[in-house]
Amino acid sequence: MTTAFAAAVHNISDFDRLTARALLEAMASAAVVLDGAGTLVAHNARAEDLLQTHVLAVVGKVIEGPFRMMADRARRMGDGTTSVTFDQALGNTWYHVSVYPIWAQTGGPMLQIIAATDITQQKHAEFEIRESEARLEEATRIAQLGTYKLHWDTEAIQWSPHMFVIHGLSPGSFIHTRETYNALVHPEDRELFDQYRRDQFEGKALRGAEYRIVRKGAVRWLRLDGRVLFDAEGEPYASFGTCQDITEAKQREQELKSLLRRNAILYEALDASPIGVAVVTTDGPRPEVFYVNAEFERLTGFKTSTLAKNTIEALQPKEEAGEWQKVAQALNTSSAGAFELLCARLNGTSFLAQLEIAPVRDHPGRDAMVFVLNLRDITIDRQRAEALLQSQKMEALGQLSGGVAHEINNLLQPMLALSELGIDIADSDPEKVRKYFEVIASSGRKARDIVRQVLTFARRDAPQLAPYAISFLVADALRLLQSGLPPGISLEQDIAVGDAEAVVNPTQVSQVVLNLVKNAADAMDGEGAVRVALTVVDLDVAAAAALTLTPGRWIRLRVADEGCGMDAYTLSRVFEPFFTTKLAGRGTGLGLSVVYSIVTGWGGTLKLESEVDHGTTAVVYIPTAPSS
Amino acid sequence: MAHILLVEDSPEVSLSVREILASVGHTVEEAASGTEGLKRLRASKFDLIVSDIWMPEMDGIALLKEIRGAGDDIPVVVISGGAPNAPLTYTAPLAATFGANVVVYKPFEKAELLKAIETVLAD
Repeated sequence: MTTAFAAAVHNISDFDRLTARALLEAMASAAVVLDGAGTLVAHNARAEDLLQTHVLAVVGKVIEGPFRMMADRARRMGDGTTSVTFDQALGNTWYHVSVYPIWAQTGGPMLQIIAATDITQQKHAEFEIRESEARLEEATRIAQLGTYKLHWDTEAIQWSPHMFVIHGLSPGSFIHTRETYNALVHPEDRELFDQYRRDQFEGKALRGAEYRIVRKGAVRWLRLDGRVLFDAEGEPYASFGTCQDITEAKQREQELKSLLRRNAILYEALDASPIGVAVVTTDGPRPEVFYVNAEFERLTGFKTSTLAKNTIEALQPKEEAGEWQKVAQALNTSSAGAFELLCARLNGTSFLAQLEIAPVRDHPGRDAMVFVLNLRDITIDRQRAEALLQSQKMEALGQLSGGVAHEINNLLQPMLALSELGIDIADSDPEKVRKYFEVIASSGRKARDIVRQVLTFARRDAPQLAPYAISFLVADALRLLQSGLPPGISLEQDIAVGDAEAVVNPTQVSQVVLNLVKNAADAMDGEGAVRVALTVVDLDVAAAAALTLTPGRWIRLRVADEGCGMDAYTLSRVFEPFFTTKLAGRGTGLGLSVVYSIVTGWGGTLKLESEVDHGTTAVVYIPTAPSS
Repeated sequence: MAHILLVEDSPEVSLSVREILASVGHTVEEAASGTEGLKRLRASKFDLIVSDIWMPEMDGIALLKEIRGAGDDIPVVVISGGAPNAPLTYTAPLAATFGANVVVYKPFEKAELLKAIETVLAD
């Protein structure tokens, strides 16, 4: 026992001693009093468990055990002149330890009181809170949620670490005030955000707020969800909430909105279309109608709902199977197609429709599972086309009859007048009457020829076509012609087709050769050569396309003259019936149109190549028989 | 009796018309086109013209334009069998528009033409 302590003990009265004892026992903690050397001076009853040995055994001795540990720790924490507190775990028990120095009346600290309170329960509660806070923090970190707590009285705000991340700030560099936060908020959303803040303070039911901030120059969307915290008396004292960066979600929302808008526009556009549109899917056992637009519905009476599962077979009238089979085939083979067919309406009637099908492929080369159908009512188109055809027929008839009338009238004129005059002078001037009869007979023959030509022209589809050795037919026609040609006109032949067969009508071949050679001869002023060439040609795709023929083997007949040729105007009208540049009596203007009519009737074609003063070449392409 | 210019490209028609005119004592000069007709008109004096409409080179309408354009009011009888690519009824109003005094349609009989000529000459 130190001298100072011995002196102090000596100086205190019994009253003091009893009082100190009572105070010590009154403490809620386990308490011991130690002297500077760690000798146990006093303790209360609560301390007995912690002293671990029988109290009597240690009083007046230097102690070991928990209190010694606490004393040592207090010494390490301070200089022994001030009180220290700390929490100390002993096994499963937690103690809150306070160590107070007791000062001697003179000199330094003399004794220390160590008071240890069992705070195990509090500690556990504290741990639980900490743990739940840690869990919350982890959850918010995973959810990218920031949390905040706003104290209403001070307006002080606490942010979780992720709040800083969300706002693009580092925790140390941002001092949170109303002004500094407002500066982060997008100018257009500041009013909205202020309102939200006011609502929080006014204790209005809080809802979420969505607003924009400008983070490092980029606009981000945030969502705040807050709730009010109440104290034990039920008074609101703070609000707590979460904050989330919803920029990506907003973007997706915008994308979805624009996608929906796009969809709506597309639907409206489809509904505004004057063409019936349907979408058919073929991934099920039968083709199903997935969509029809307004026009489709108007045309057929079918809605998507009435057609679905019913398949497009509902559109097929009972009486029309053939074309619809082709439609089914197009769907089966993923091919496009255009069909003219009868289409049924819901009410059982049907109409003439044009149906176009196009496969919608999500992958080139893969079978289409979706098809788009375009449907038009072509009843009126068909009627119009028929009316147009009819009016064209009438116009052609008018032209033809005008031409025939002109020719025949000019032939009837001398026949009528000369017969009349001949009767008057039959007795007086027989010589003259004979001359009249010659003119009358020749006019009659010309009239007959015209009638024949017109009949050929009118009955273009009448003659039977069969394969013939074309070289013989052309040679025969040329032989017959030769004698009728003017003396100055020579005929050069180059027939080099062997025994190739053409699908023609023999009489028509003579007509074609006769007309072309006669035209060629007429184009020359009584002198020159008409060259006739017959060859077999193989037309490739390009050459055939230029002639609007099919590629393959053709027989080509060329009739060339050295005559006056034709200008572009004449060339453009040369196939018109009765168009002629010849003097009256030399041509009817029917020749080329008859040739054209015959040759196209065979499935061939007639082309003219001509240059003024350099002659004309007529080129006829004649279909060959399959064997040649 | 009149001295008549006959413009007609068909030799057979020309012959038959000439014979009709000659049968009553008219004298006739023939031209096979409008161009030739105009040439003869400038060379001699005629009491009347009988002209076809549809002819190569210069047709009857062009001839009428030339004559009336030059201020010549010589009577003109147009003979027409119609024209290719035009309705038959088209010729008469066209000829009248360009100054023909009368149109006679082919095929006509002797009396028809002679009566038309008589009427025109009497006016």
